[in-house]
Amino acid sequence: MNAISGDILPAPPSLAPLAQRTPLGPGIPSRNGHLLGPGLLLLYWAVLSATGWLDPRTLPAPWTAITTGADLVREGRLQSNLVVSAARAASGLLVGGTAGVLLAFLSGLSLLGGYVIDGIVQLKRGIPILAVIPFMILWFGIGEPMKVAVIAVAAFFPIYIQTHSALRAIDLRYVELAETLGLSRWQFLRRIVIPGALPGFLLGLRFGATAAWLALVVVEQLNASSGIGYMVTLARNYAQTDVMLVGLVVYALLGFGTDSAVRWAERRLLRWRRTLGR
Amino acid sequence: MSAAVRICDLKRTFTLKGVLNGVDLDIAPGEFVALLGRSGSGKSTLLRALAGIDHEAEGTGEIALPPRLSVIFQDARLLPWMRVLDNVTLGLPRDAHARALQALEEVGLAGRERSWPHELSGGEQQRVALARALVREPALLLADEPFGALDALTRIQMHELLRQLSQRHQPAVLLVTHDIDEALALADRIVMLDDGRISADLQVAGRGDRTLIALQRKRLLAMLGVT
Repeated sequence: MNAISGDILPAPPSLAPLAQRTPLGPGIPSRNGHLLGPGLLLLYWAVLSATGWLDPRTLPAPWTAITTGADLVREGRLQSNLVVSAARAASGLLVGGTAGVLLAFLSGLSLLGGYVIDGIVQLKRGIPILAVIPFMILWFGIGEPMKVAVIAVAAFFPIYIQTHSALRAIDLRYVELAETLGLSRWQFLRRIVIPGALPGFLLGLRFGATAAWLALVVVEQLNASSGIGYMVTLARNYAQTDVMLVGLVVYALLGFGTDSAVRWAERRLLRWRRTLGR
Repeated sequence: MSAAVRICDLKRTFTLKGVLNGVDLDIAPGEFVALLGRSGSGKSTLLRALAGIDHEAEGTGEIALPPRLSVIFQDARLLPWMRVLDNVTLGLPRDAHARALQALEEVGLAGRERSWPHELSGGEQQRVALARALVREPALLLADEPFGALDALTRIQMHELLRQLSQRHQPAVLLVTHDIDEALALADRIVMLDDGRISADLQVAGRGDRTLIALQRKRLLAMLGVT
């Protein structure tokens, strides 16, 4: 540096090596990353049981669930009850989901439909599902139709609400585009409305599936002669905590499995999306 | 020559934005018209009326248009859930695929037909929109500030592309813009809109002659009240 500029100008600031910026996105997702939380919980539970901190009368050890589960499978009780429960949940989800999607389209795509349907749905939404069960029994009896109906009602709401709001959120600019391209009503529905509402529907389906399993637990403990809930209720009467635990684990696995299945479908169907978290 | 577009005494009012106070305009087949005006002068209102998407407006007047018409918006307006090729053929019968591929090649996007829109740059997305407009072989192309959202270099490339394509396919073009240089570079004729009325209607003369263009530029700027 020469003397003149040194006199007039302040010394240049010393340079620091470029520090890596802290990335604010969550990073690169791992394929099976969502298994971490349940895995840690399982580990915690196993450690507590193995060290004797957890009384088996309070909550049996995880391996007890496995051995009892194996016994139940050998006897054939677990499979038969599982099939019954899964069939109930699936038919309830199917009925509720179909109704949810149909009504969401009716109220999302037509003004009159919206005025009529959406108000009723919002009103009914405030009533807890448990409060409806007495009426369901009154209307459908205490057999299978009542159980499926309660599950369907529980699954209906999230699917309706998410699909409806996704439909309402479809960009008006796409509607203009469809008009200038001269799309028919059917093409508009197929190319713009349905793909546009699909993310919302899938989100609703995830909530709806969870709601279906929850409703299943309730109706199966109410009055049933088969199903996982019946198995648990029976075990409670005989204080078989290990069988009760198997029931809980099965419920958890079913819920988790369904959620994973919908998420898998989401990844396949919504490949065009570029979002923060996959 | 009979007109490709005829607009008679067109009036539009809105509760919120622009108005038209009796616009008369004829556009000849193959003619490239730039519609110039300040923001709020009614340029977009006129274009939306021609495109038939001004449902929220009230108004009177007559519009006669060719049946085959394409619109290009300021945003490329591609459907994010469709690949590039499906965006180009949107609403067309299945046998349009070959023509769509050809249109993509014409806009310089050969080989990108399987891309998702979000994988393209802004300029490339607008090229897809151009291909989507061209594949319909329009007799009239309506463009609402189609290059307004692009960077200056991409804009120059797009000008060149649009000029070539409109020369090759010869649609009548109505280009809405507030960019005088864009209007001078592309149009045969410049129509100026002010306060919902046509305030000037000029043929562009002497393309390639810098002094002539500079003179017209100065005149247009003065008309817009910029000196």
